Amino acid sequence: MDASVKEKSSHDDHSHHEEAFIWKYVFSIDHKVIGIQYGVTALLFLFFGFTLMMLMRWQLAYPGEAIPVISGLFSETTMPDGIMLPEFYNSLGAMHGTIMVFLAVVPLVVGAFGNYLVPLQVGAIDMAFPKLNMASYWVYFVGGIVMLVGFWMPGGAANSGWTSYPPLSNIATTGQTVWLLGMVFLITSSLLGSMNIIVTIVQLRAEGLTWMKLPFFTWAQLVTSFLLLLAFPPLEAAGVLQLMDRLTGSSFFMPSGLVVSGEVLDIAGGGSPLLWQHLFWFLAHPEVYVLILPALGIIAEVIANNTRKPLWGYKSMVYATIFLGFISFTVWAHHMFLTGMGTAINAFFQTTTMIISIPSVIILTALMISLWGGSIRFNSAMLFACAFLPMFGIGGLTGLPLGLTASDIHLHDTYYVIGHFHYVVAPGTIFAIFAGIYYWYPKVTGRAMNEMLGKIHFWLSLIFINGIFFPMFIQGLAGVSRRLYDGGASYAHAQDYLYLNEFMSISAWLLALAQIPFIINFFISWKSGQKAGDNHWDATTLEWSATTSPPLGHGNFEVVPTVYRGPYEYSVPGKDKDFTPQNEA
Amino acid sequence: MSEWILQYLYLPQDLSSHGHELDSLTGWVHLLMLILFVGWGAFYLLTVFKFNKKRNPSADYKGVKTHVSSYLEITVAVIEAVLLVGFSIPLWADVVDNIPEETAKDVVPIRIIAEQFAWNIHYAGPDGKFGRTAPELVDLSNGNPVGIDKNDPNAADDVTTVNQLNVPMNKQILVKLTSKDVIHSFFLPVMRVKQDAIPGSEFPLKFTAVSKGDNDGKYEIACAQLCGLGHYRMRGYYNIMTQEEFDAWMGEQQELLKAAGEDDGW
Amino acid sequence: MNKSFLKPLCALTLSAMLIACGSDKKETASAPAAKTDAKTEVAKAASGPATGTSSVTGTIKFEGDIPKLGAVNMDADPVCKSKHSGAVASEVLVLGEGNLMANIMVSIKSGLPSAEYDTPSEAAVLDQKGCVYVPHILGVMAGQEVKILNSDGTLHNIHTQSKENKAFNVAMPAARTEMTKKFKKVEDSFKVKCDVHPWMGGWIRVFEHPFFDVTEKDGQFSIKNLPAGTYEIEAWHEKLGSQTASVTVGDGEAKAVDFTFKKS
Repeated sequence: MDASVKEKSSHDDHSHHEEAFIWKYVFSIDHKVIGIQYGVTALLFLFFGFTLMMLMRWQLAYPGEAIPVISGLFSETTMPDGIMLPEFYNSLGAMHGTIMVFLAVVPLVVGAFGNYLVPLQVGAIDMAFPKLNMASYWVYFVGGIVMLVGFWMPGGAANSGWTSYPPLSNIATTGQTVWLLGMVFLITSSLLGSMNIIVTIVQLRAEGLTWMKLPFFTWAQLVTSFLLLLAFPPLEAAGVLQLMDRLTGSSFFMPSGLVVSGEVLDIAGGGSPLLWQHLFWFLAHPEVYVLILPALGIIAEVIANNTRKPLWGYKSMVYATIFLGFISFTVWAHHMFLTGMGTAINAFFQTTTMIISIPSVIILTALMISLWGGSIRFNSAMLFACAFLPMFGIGGLTGLPLGLTASDIHLHDTYYVIGHFHYVVAPGTIFAIFAGIYYWYPKVTGRAMNEMLGKIHFWLSLIFINGIFFPMFIQGLAGVSRRLYDGGASYAHAQDYLYLNEFMSISAWLLALAQIPFIINFFISWKSGQKAGDNHWDATTLEWSATTSPPLGHGNFEVVPTVYRGPYEYSVPGKDKDFTPQNEA
Repeated sequence: MSEWILQYLYLPQDLSSHGHELDSLTGWVHLLMLILFVGWGAFYLLTVFKFNKKRNPSADYKGVKTHVSSYLEITVAVIEAVLLVGFSIPLWADVVDNIPEETAKDVVPIRIIAEQFAWNIHYAGPDGKFGRTAPELVDLSNGNPVGIDKNDPNAADDVTTVNQLNVPMNKQILVKLTSKDVIHSFFLPVMRVKQDAIPGSEFPLKFTAVSKGDNDGKYEIACAQLCGLGHYRMRGYYNIMTQEEFDAWMGEQQELLKAAGEDDGW
Repeated sequence: MNKSFLKPLCALTLSAMLIACGSDKKETASAPAAKTDAKTEVAKAASGPATGTSSVTGTIKFEGDIPKLGAVNMDADPVCKSKHSGAVASEVLVLGEGNLMANIMVSIKSGLPSAEYDTPSEAAVLDQKGCVYVPHILGVMAGQEVKILNSDGTLHNIHTQSKENKAFNVAMPAARTEMTKKFKKVEDSFKVKCDVHPWMGGWIRVFEHPFFDVTEKDGQFSIKNLPAGTYEIEAWHEKLGSQTASVTVGDGEAKAVDFTFKKS
């Protein structure tokens, strides 16, 4: 029906149809389309960021050896004869971090999942500001393109780490300027998006949907959006200051008396390199929770649905999340323990760091206890959610020795840190993203993904991702620094642990292969997956009461829902079926 | 217990007077992590085994009814508080923040000035006083990497080396750390010492080597903060010497200084 | 210095002659005039003879008290240290027998007919060997290829401090033994450094013509294939600066100009 109408209109009035297509699928103001746009773009960036890492892993496993097969693809200034140069390695490192955090994971958990699900879960017809929503996506898109342009700059893309510490970043090649411009776009996009989500949740909740009836996912999105809204402006300011340092000769981050390569630097001086670190981490620590909270939200939804019982300790999870949000603004300087802090300031930041572990423990424990007494369906989404718990647990626990300054002295800036935060975001957040994709795919496409391929994808990913990240703890304890172009081969104290590099690299490449079943599944199921009804998983939250996509367009619900009960009324004693939707009277 | 777990933690040899305390904290934390992980893991495995759909076809609306988890959370909080207040904060105050006077007895003051991609070591010499330095006097090709003002009388016996940090055993070494250009991080794995070198500021740090260790005193300085294309090769050498060896070396350097005294500073 | 091999060079239109070339300096030190090319031949003929048969030679000598120079200390990198058996002398002032000076860049400063000189097809070579630059002083023509070698099997980074030409800072890890660069614009001597080995310093100067030479320890320079004319000749030392002298040569004539440097 839809197709025939399209065909007819294209015969009748070609230009009109073109315009309609553009407004419907490209410059759409429908939150569902924008969510899908975010999702597809961010998945492409996720894949790209992963590719950068696979290149780095070649150099780490076989330092100085020419990369086989694809060596011809690279220029003289990056990989002459297939041998990676340190500058390019540093570019890859900086861009891997930037792309994964700002262009892949945040856009996925907030831009894609948040955009698509928040209005549906609160029973709204759309976001509060649909045009702002569209602007948010396109500003993000431009920011992403700008970031990629960096690779074609003389001297390559930004190569001062994703943290871009000055003075190194101030004296770096042009790629850094492009990086800063890109960041300004990405930050702006996040600010637009987060305002929208906050207003939507606060103002547009369906009748009866009181705060303690909100699905945990929406709670997580609300707190996340506040973090974005309050934490990003300092970084935007910092980015502009660094741009000025680079372009107009100011010295916000440049102290006096710098001697670079034997020459006294001709600058005004008087600035502070540490100022940047404070501004950067004031964002980037809350940013960690931006990466984690929505992931916990996804996991909570998947677990409640697949255990067929309410979340255990829902209220304490909500309070813990809010508390986490507040406290996350007070821990930033634990990234800077070794910048010359005295005992007092140091005691403050390690105390807040220990305090913030408590709400994380509460949420994780509640999720784990929620499994008890359930009737667990181990589908692909649930497998990823279940694996998330111990993986995120490892990520969290390894934060302890880093958060205590005395044990951090030896571990700071070693591979231990890399292992720690990758456990949080890779088998943590990214597994949650996979769980979310498997879980909501039927809602978005009207078809379910293939379970067999999903399970292959899961088990292989679980094995290989641990193969990459676990050995990092060993290297880190041995004192191998991060961001080394040769993976530590220059250092005597690293020699005994170099063999792990090859192991980690092979795990990384196998992990890439393990994504093939997912990619196949993702595209095949779109057209020929098992047909799914409106409520494929017998779920309770409002998004499942709306018609399955292809959606109703701007409007979402045939009947604006009224909410009568909490979000996870599964297996209520005395009911015939094991789920009671929120909007069921 | 912490000793037991330390053998499995791959830490490099510790040759410092303070490192053992840091290591034992690292050990205790890892023990706590292990207990929590194994405890949670056992509960988790039991749960996913016991409550899968086949074994338990209908879910229990209420689930866990006890508040054991609250006690667990409180226990974790208490242990963290103990580690924090009992170990980490006092250790930091003692190991990092309690800096001796430069002129105190048995303290060897050494300035370390990091640059892309080398560690410049500046010894005060027998007089124990550093000569004046200035950025415009830096000359890399002619043996004045830290920009010592040779007209300053205190500078006459100052010794500089590049990438070679020689220290006497059982003396407290007081390092004053800074950088010429970008941020570096001074890392001595065997000393459990790490401190960012930040241009524009000078930070003190101290350590005492108590043994030459398995490698006869020959170890390395690593750079722990990305500082540019040569970061991976910004390796210095850390040589632990007996007092006699150190004195002999310092004497040798003084001879060389005298010989080079007429060096025209080209 | 000992001349170990002869290198054939083509001089434009007038002659094909063999000139001797120093072994370490490679071919650029007394650079070939140009390659024969029918098109440029016509162009050059129109603008008058750009090269000729005249030559200027001379000797550079150091006078007065010889400054004392400390040896280069390579303790910072054992790889470098292992490449040398004894102390490594500073390259700032290198004197041969009778205080004849090496590392002096001699070139024609002015007086050349306005003409475009073809860039040599052969690359100039700058080697990093034993953690010093070989040669210490390198003259190249604008647009000429410069082959940069790393013979040390350790990381060097080539960091040019040029102002006219875009400065670059490129790493040459152990695995990268060779790369090629070009300096497109004429530029006075600028420094080349390695940040991994702070003592490493060399100089590059980019000319628009091929009339330059760098002395060896014998203090001799020789600028050949000059057209007849009156020239200002410049001798340059990295610390002692430049001296100039005027010389007039007729066709086929060879004149000698000597320079003396002194530490003031």
